[in-house]
Order: sequence, then C-alpha cells, then structure tokens
Amino acid sequence: MASLPTTLFDHFKTTVNKYPDSLAIADNKQRASYQDLFECVGKISQYLLESGLKKGDRVSLVITNSVEYAAVFYGIWAVGGVTVALNTQAKAKDIINWVGHSDAKWLFFDERHPEFKAIAAEIKSDIELISVGRGGSDDQTDRVVSWQQILDLTAPVPTTSLIPSDLASIIYTSGTTGHPKGVTLSHGNLSANIDSILSYLELTERDSILNVLPFYYSYGNSILHTHLAVGGSLILENSLAYPHRVMEKMVNEAVTGFSGVPSTFALLLGRVNIKDYDLSMLRYITQAGGAMAPALADKLSSALPGTELFIMYGQTEAGARLTYLPPKMLKEKRGSIGIAIPNTTIEVRSKEGTVTQPGETGEICASGKNIMQGYWKDNEKTAEIIKNGWLYTGDLAHTDADGYLYIDGRSSDMIKSGANRISPKEIEEVIQEIDQVLEVAVVGCPDEMLGEVIKAYVVLKKNNSLEKRVIQHHCKSNLALYKIPKTIEFIEELPKTASGKIQKFLLQK
Amino acid sequence: MSSEAKIRNYILENYLFTDDESALDSADSFLDKGILDSTGILEVIYFLEDEFEIKVEDTEMVPENLDSVNNIVSFIERKRQ
Repeated sequence: MASLPTTLFDHFKTTVNKYPDSLAIADNKQRASYQDLFECVGKISQYLLESGLKKGDRVSLVITNSVEYAAVFYGIWAVGGVTVALNTQAKAKDIINWVGHSDAKWLFFDERHPEFKAIAAEIKSDIELISVGRGGSDDQTDRVVSWQQILDLTAPVPTTSLIPSDLASIIYTSGTTGHPKGVTLSHGNLSANIDSILSYLELTERDSILNVLPFYYSYGNSILHTHLAVGGSLILENSLAYPHRVMEKMVNEAVTGFSGVPSTFALLLGRVNIKDYDLSMLRYITQAGGAMAPALADKLSSALPGTELFIMYGQTEAGARLTYLPPKMLKEKRGSIGIAIPNTTIEVRSKEGTVTQPGETGEICASGKNIMQGYWKDNEKTAEIIKNGWLYTGDLAHTDADGYLYIDGRSSDMIKSGANRISPKEIEEVIQEIDQVLEVAVVGCPDEMLGEVIKAYVVLKKNNSLEKRVIQHHCKSNLALYKIPKTIEFIEELPKTASGKIQKFLLQK
Repeated sequence: MSSEAKIRNYILENYLFTDDESALDSADSFLDKGILDSTGILEVIYFLEDEFEIKVEDTEMVPENLDSVNNIVSFIERKRQ
C-alpha cells in the first residue's frame, strides 16, 4: 500500500474530494457525509483562526463521540493546532488540571457535560469555553461561545503547512493529579501508525464500523482516523449498557467491522446470543486494550465463524498499535498477541538489555516512526521510558520459536479495568484524604467481565471506625465513575518489606 | 417495602454510596447523570432478576425499561401483569 500523505489531515482532505457524499459519521442525532463534516471543520478552523490560534497552540476538548468531536478535532488540525482530547468521564478537577498542564487556551465541551458548572467556576478566565451541541446548554454564561456562533461562520478550510515532526496531539493517560502524563504524538507518529493499521486490516472506503470505544483513548482515536483516512463510515453507539441495541445497530447498518476491549466481548457474549443476529456483512473484529483470555477469543470465533478476529496489542505511547495476530494464525498461536505491525520493530529484552531467547520473559521494547515524542513537559519520565529511540513498554512477554509474542504480565502496577488504565496511586491519594484513614493500598483483582476490578485495602487510625460506603462516596465525589473501588477491605496493617515498601502482590492474591 | 423503594435503596447504597434520599430523583437517567456505567446496568439487571424473580430478556434491555428508577418500576409492573 502506498504511504499516506504527511498528515492525516491532508489525507482527510483527499478523502473528502474523492467521496464527498459518502457517509463519514452517524451518531444518535445526525448522519454526516464527508462534505458535511468538512464544512463543519472549516467553520471551526475559521473560528480558531479568528480567535488567535497559532500553529502549535493546544486546544482541549471534552466531547463524547459524535460528528462534532471529529469536526472539532480536524478543525484544530486544519489550522496547525494541537488536539488535547480529554476523558469525558473525568471530574472537573482533572479536566482543569489537564487544560492547565497543556497550556490550552480553548476548551470545547459538551453542552450538557455534568461537570461544566464546576469547570466554568474554577478554570482560568483567559481560557475560551466553547459549548458543543445544538440543544443549547442550561449552564451557559456570558463567557461561553455557543455552537451556533460557530455554525454561522462561512469560510473555506484554511491551508496550513505541516511537517511530520509537528506536534499533532497530546493524550493524557492516567497519572496522579500532581503529575499528569501527556503523551505527545506528532503528525508523523500518527500517520505512520494509521498507515500500518490500514495495511493489515485492509480497510477501504467500503468499510463501516460500529464504534463503541471512546475517541479520547488511543484505541478509539485510531479507529476514527483509519476510517476517515480511507473514506469509510463510522456508526457511533456511545454505550454498551444495552447490548441488544448494539447488536441491532450492527445488523441494521450492515457494518463490516467492530472493535472492542476484552470486556466488550465478555459483555456481549454474556448477555446476547450473537448467533441470533445476521452479521453476514461483518468482515472483521479487532480486540485490543488488554489481554483477552484465549477461551473468550475461542468463544468469539466460534460465534462468528465468517468473521476475521484480529488480536492486537499497543500503547498510547506508540500512537496506538504495536502488534497484531493475523487471523489465520489464531488457532495455531492461541493466546499470542502476534507480531510487530508493519514498519515497527519489536524486541523482548532482559533487564540487562539483551534480546531474550524464545521462552524467556523480558520487557517488550519497540521502535518505529509511531513512537511518541515524549511526555509533555516531562523530560525525566520520557527518559525513563524512551532510551536510544526504543520505547520500553513496561509489559512483560516472551516469544516462541517463530517470534510470536505472548504477554506474561506487567512490570508496572497500573490497573486495567474494561477499557481504562488506572493509576492505583491516584485512588490511594483520594482515599488518603479521609481523616480516619492511616494508610491505603489499591490493587486490581481479577474479574471475568472487566479483566480487573479495583480493590482498596484500608488501614484505619487507632480507635477510628468508618463505613465502607463513606470511602466510596468520597471517591465518587473526586474520581471518575470507573475509578471507584468495587470492594473495600479494612485490615490491621499492610504487608510490607523490611524497607517499608508495600507488597501489593500479596494483596492481589 | 414498595418496588420503587427497593430499587431506590439499591441504587443509593451501591452506586451513590449514601442514604440521602435527595441524592436521587426517580426520573434521573442513570447514564446521563453518570450514576451507572454499562457494567452497572448489568448489575442492576442481575439485582432485578434476583429481587423480583423476573427474567430480563435481551430485547428488554433498553433504556426505556432500565434507565431510571421510574422506568424500572413501570417495567417490573408490566412484567408482572
């Protein structure tokens, strides 16, 4: 396959010219053709130019998956801005923190975002707030630019020249409040990764996907850009809460693709009988976002015998994707995350830095044009993870004799629950704020549906008592929904080494 | 205890972590208000099946039946008829 142009935005423009009337995105409110989307992109870019955006300026957005999300995202790129797409489930405190850390001067937000009042009250006054949506927010203040004001603009999409090393996006992965981790991806990084994904998935303008993954995570982000790069269609469904509705939509829209994390498939297989639905158009399924139990992959394959299943692995720091298992190898290499994607090199390295022998566990390291530039404003953390051009993923794996990779674990203590990567430290900091708490350790415990669920072990100060739900209520007030510990156990003391380090592995048992 | 009270208590206790009745309006959308996510909805279904001895069919898993206390109460009443 020929290489993409320098940037995904250039490619998007080409796609618009080739397929102006094809469906680009359908959400619950509208169906936008490529031409519709492009016109909206033009209005947003015009607004940003008029309000003083210069190349390299950061623009943040807190928008659920929608036509508007894509229009704002590409509108920022059209004028050389850097997108900072934020987790829509996050609390105001985190959103304000990320906007401040990225020095974004604009914040596009969903008109009915539940945290908006708190954000508007606390965020710095020089940040321009733009309400996205056609309904009109109840909470708008004078300082908020309405969506209608933007739609009223009429202007062609401006041309900005960009080179591959120009910064395209900052994606905040989990980190503690004091130390947000912003992955910086250049236009070259993203373009290279999308190019690789397109080549192995063989996506074309005839493909359409039912997308349930949030665009603000790198997996969803790659789904958005791969489809807009080839002229495919994205059908959006923003919740898996109603699996039957998801399945019906797949049938009605005759989609050719579907992507999920392991919990997506556990939920669908657990709650609906996939065989009851006519999915004869479904060409492929992709799975990433955490190791899927081989038994679940088997179940999925047998429920959809005519559909190719791509098991994939990646990291935000790599643009999204690092490896994939070709579907024809699914049985032979059961449990494997496959081989390096095109244009990326993977090595499993020992602690001493040598390449391991087959069967020997080491750390997955990767190099390629897709590897991030670093963490935003954090050279120290960047140096810890990128050495001599190689990304040290923190994931442990071994290869077999044919070079196929098998995950053995993680060297970091990050919790993976559903599609979310969660820092235990962040939750520990919040629980520690409660007066009666002496110390706390948060771990991920195995869960059939979500991969892991969060458990907090809490030690109370002497002669204190506390209800579990008080802790959970405090977490709910300060953390996104998915970060609230499912279970809490009070214990006398935390297991520690002689040097005082908490032995979390003992708590995970 | 009425069906509505049972459901309200379950949501208040397990997802809002409070016994403050004012924290939940029976018309509140669980998803829009960020009270439940997709796994939370599933847990509610298991609770309903257990507590009210009903079977929630795949095709009944729609927001019209499950996205608020009021919707659930009407749904259970219909199931019992």
